[in-house]
Amino acid sequence: MSEPDVIKPEMMRSYIWLQTADGSIQQVEQEVAIFCPLICHEIHAGMGSSKTYPISLPARVNPVTLSLILDYCRFHQVPGRSNKERKSFDEKFIRMDTNRLCELTSAADSLQLKPLVDLTSRALARMIEGKTPEEIRETFHIPDDLTEEEKLEPLKNITDDPRIRLLNRLYARKRKELKEKEKLKNVEVEAEHVDDRSVDELLSFINGENGDSKEVKTAKNKKKNRRRKDQQKNAPVCTISNSSSSLNNSTKASNGISLVGHDDRVKDHCLPNINELLKLQDSEDDRFGLEDEFDDCDIGDGIDPEIKEQIDREVEDFARRLNSDWPERVQELLSLGQERRPSLYTVNGNGCSARRPSSTGLEKHEK
Amino acid sequence: MAYSFPDDVLEHVFSFITSDKDRNAVSLVCKSWYEIERWCRRRIFVGNCYAVSPGIVIRRFPDVRSVELKGKPHFADFNLVPDGWGGYVYPWIAEFSRAYPWLEEIRLKRMVVSDESLELISKSFKSFRVLVLSSCEGFSTDGLAAIAANCRNLRELDLRESEIEDLSGHWLSHFPDTFTSLESINMACLGSEVSFSALECLVARSPNLKTLRLNRAVPLDKLSTLLRLAPQLVEFGTGAYSAEIRPDTYSRLAEAFSCCKKLKGLSGFWDVVPSYLPAVYSVCSRLTSLNLSYSPMRSPDITKIISQCHNLQRLWVLDYIEDVGLNALALSCKDLQELRVFPSDPYVVDANVSLTEQGLVSVCKGCPKLQSVLYFCRQMSNSALFAIARNRPNLTCFRLCIIEAQAPDYLTFEPLDAGFGAIVEHCKDLRRLSLSGFLTDRVFEYIGTHANRLEMLSIAFAGDSDLGLHHVLSGCDSLRKLEIRDCPFGDKALLANVAKLETMRSLWMSSCSVSFGACKLLSQMMPRLNVEVIDEQGYSDAEADSCLVEKLYIYRTVAGPRIDMPDFIWTMDQDRAYRLRNRPSS
Repeated sequence: MSEPDVIKPEMMRSYIWLQTADGSIQQVEQEVAIFCPLICHEIHAGMGSSKTYPISLPARVNPVTLSLILDYCRFHQVPGRSNKERKSFDEKFIRMDTNRLCELTSAADSLQLKPLVDLTSRALARMIEGKTPEEIRETFHIPDDLTEEEKLEPLKNITDDPRIRLLNRLYARKRKELKEKEKLKNVEVEAEHVDDRSVDELLSFINGENGDSKEVKTAKNKKKNRRRKDQQKNAPVCTISNSSSSLNNSTKASNGISLVGHDDRVKDHCLPNINELLKLQDSEDDRFGLEDEFDDCDIGDGIDPEIKEQIDREVEDFARRLNSDWPERVQELLSLGQERRPSLYTVNGNGCSARRPSSTGLEKHEK
Repeated sequence: MAYSFPDDVLEHVFSFITSDKDRNAVSLVCKSWYEIERWCRRRIFVGNCYAVSPGIVIRRFPDVRSVELKGKPHFADFNLVPDGWGGYVYPWIAEFSRAYPWLEEIRLKRMVVSDESLELISKSFKSFRVLVLSSCEGFSTDGLAAIAANCRNLRELDLRESEIEDLSGHWLSHFPDTFTSLESINMACLGSEVSFSALECLVARSPNLKTLRLNRAVPLDKLSTLLRLAPQLVEFGTGAYSAEIRPDTYSRLAEAFSCCKKLKGLSGFWDVVPSYLPAVYSVCSRLTSLNLSYSPMRSPDITKIISQCHNLQRLWVLDYIEDVGLNALALSCKDLQELRVFPSDPYVVDANVSLTEQGLVSVCKGCPKLQSVLYFCRQMSNSALFAIARNRPNLTCFRLCIIEAQAPDYLTFEPLDAGFGAIVEHCKDLRRLSLSGFLTDRVFEYIGTHANRLEMLSIAFAGDSDLGLHHVLSGCDSLRKLEIRDCPFGDKALLANVAKLETMRSLWMSSCSVSFGACKLLSQMMPRLNVEVIDEQGYSDAEADSCLVEKLYIYRTVAGPRIDMPDFIWTMDQDRAYRLRNRPSS
């Protein structure tokens, strides 16, 4: 006859009573609780065996984190598990939001549970790595109390310098105009240029009526906007575009540039000497208030070198007029710039060193 | 955190954050993180020794164990920085000896290191373990003897590419018999012979030795002795790889190599006798790194070796490899990540070897993991550059050196603007770029626009006008180091982009068109930049503003003006009373 009702002594588990700072009391299997060094110590000191004498846990352990810690202990205190199993558990266990993770790290530390402290600390470190200070602050909700001086911020708005913007704009505009001229020429001359678009597409493109072309335009606008957001400066953007968007923009461009196209007006209102101009480095507002319009430059070649020289000359001319107080020097510098450096490439050096054969082997290698 | 996190827990979290970039970010989060971080930072990297002073470093980081310092600008490798310019390490060592008694590691690059500095190092730091002197100068083998004698816990001594006054090989014998902690030693740049028995004993009593790079003076017939004493070696550099052809020497050597089951890197191979090369075949399949750049080995021998190196990741070689060898490389070494091809004879105009741009294209097509290229050649074309860009958008470092200055595309005679433009457009993670060949301002427009991750750019004999420099300075968001020689770049671009200079580590311009007046203006505008005008003919204070400067080195600094400048450097502060005219004794 079987004796299913006999309760074997080994089946009796002892429980430990734990109390968190908020007053609530929990009951935990002893073998799980003793996995925490602090609790283990308290048990040996005689605490926690009954509800009236619970072990008081440090303030940093709240009921939620306690429950997590006990889950961790419950898993890891089982002796038979393989390393792979433990690692797998840890990886899943650690997935929680930042706040919870911080609380858990802090609680594990107060309970002296080193393996869990390491696990959580590493997870926090991973969340910090690769981030900028601002991103770290956002992740952990930390206020920024360092002053600009303390952070040694470099001068802001490095490309709000009006001269830079002017030069860029003028150059880009010139090249665009030239490209358009070339295209018009090519349309007449190059009969072999293959246009794969169907007649319908062409018609709708020209008429700008149906949904397709509008979508195309919207897509292009979206692309432009995103680029504007990404670009924080006015470097000429040389992306491949087709003629439609450049046609769309040419009017805007000429309107925009006309503000600076009149030399006299520019000279009277906006032409500082170089010292003043450099002082403008720090100013936030853009004196010329123009938007980025470089979406349509073509990166390709194909501009006649003579015409290119003409552009360069015009740009330089304009730049020179900006520098009203040292025109001769600029002339000099420009003419120096046109010379070809004649000679011989001596001890190589465009950043790639070559070794000189020497018997001692003390050659310098490129690093 | 809305939650108070105890400092020591935070410190524990920071202990898992090791990269400089991340540590720097952590220190900028808030005041309390700054404080915690600075107390537990153990390793610092100072990219320009004049950007900060030892005092500032020590005040901020009280307990540092590992320091890395760089001194002269990169163009010093081409003898463009005159002797006596600076980069003295002694002041740093002196202060560290007082503040960091537990310092363990010092790594220096392009610095002037005196014997006195080495002696001070050897006596000041009881736990000293690692000394790396890369392209340094100013010391002799006496300094090395002090290190050997006094650094009881030394693990690594690496003298790569340094110029050392070689008084004798006796320094090696100064390692005491009780010294057994050596893990890595690189003495390849030394000329004189060390006592072989001292070397043998040293290797024998260093069970942890992983890296052994011998100098040329160690003869081939002694290699097997050393290898047999250290079969655990991971990196090995031979001496002169030549001897009379003797079967017993050969078989001993081959057997010794075959016992080195962990060998992953080989270098050396001066003065090669090809018959001895098959002795290394047994290790080829495990090699990940091979440096044949000191070796006169010709293409057939090189090819035989690399065809067996299926795990090769890094190859440094002379152009003796030729296109044919590079084709073999492309076929055999699919794990290749880094390739450097140096010129065997850069001073002749005509090619002495059959190496063209095709070799590079072939490797770029065949090796999918290739990230870093340094290539010397005599001809290049835009189409080759297009092919490289298209095939290897994962390039992070591309340094091309066409030996003749301003050489155009050899097929079309056009500038190489479009080719390099393709490189920067396709290789979005490009961090380092060196240009060569015939280039107009256009290439700089491409670079300024596309090279957003570019950190270091080297330019020589390129461009038409200031616009070129302006494109780079107004673009290239990540630019840290810019070095320029012999380009028609002048005041305009520089003065229009002053703020950019504070976001960079340094700018070098030599034989360009920058005027003295502009340098003065720049110095006035930007107190946090040191503007060094270098002219070996010497400057008088009455120098006309319109004079062009020979060499210009600009770098950001929080240490203020230098106090150790030689006569031939002009800065804004040179007239002040406290400026020392003599080089400090170091």
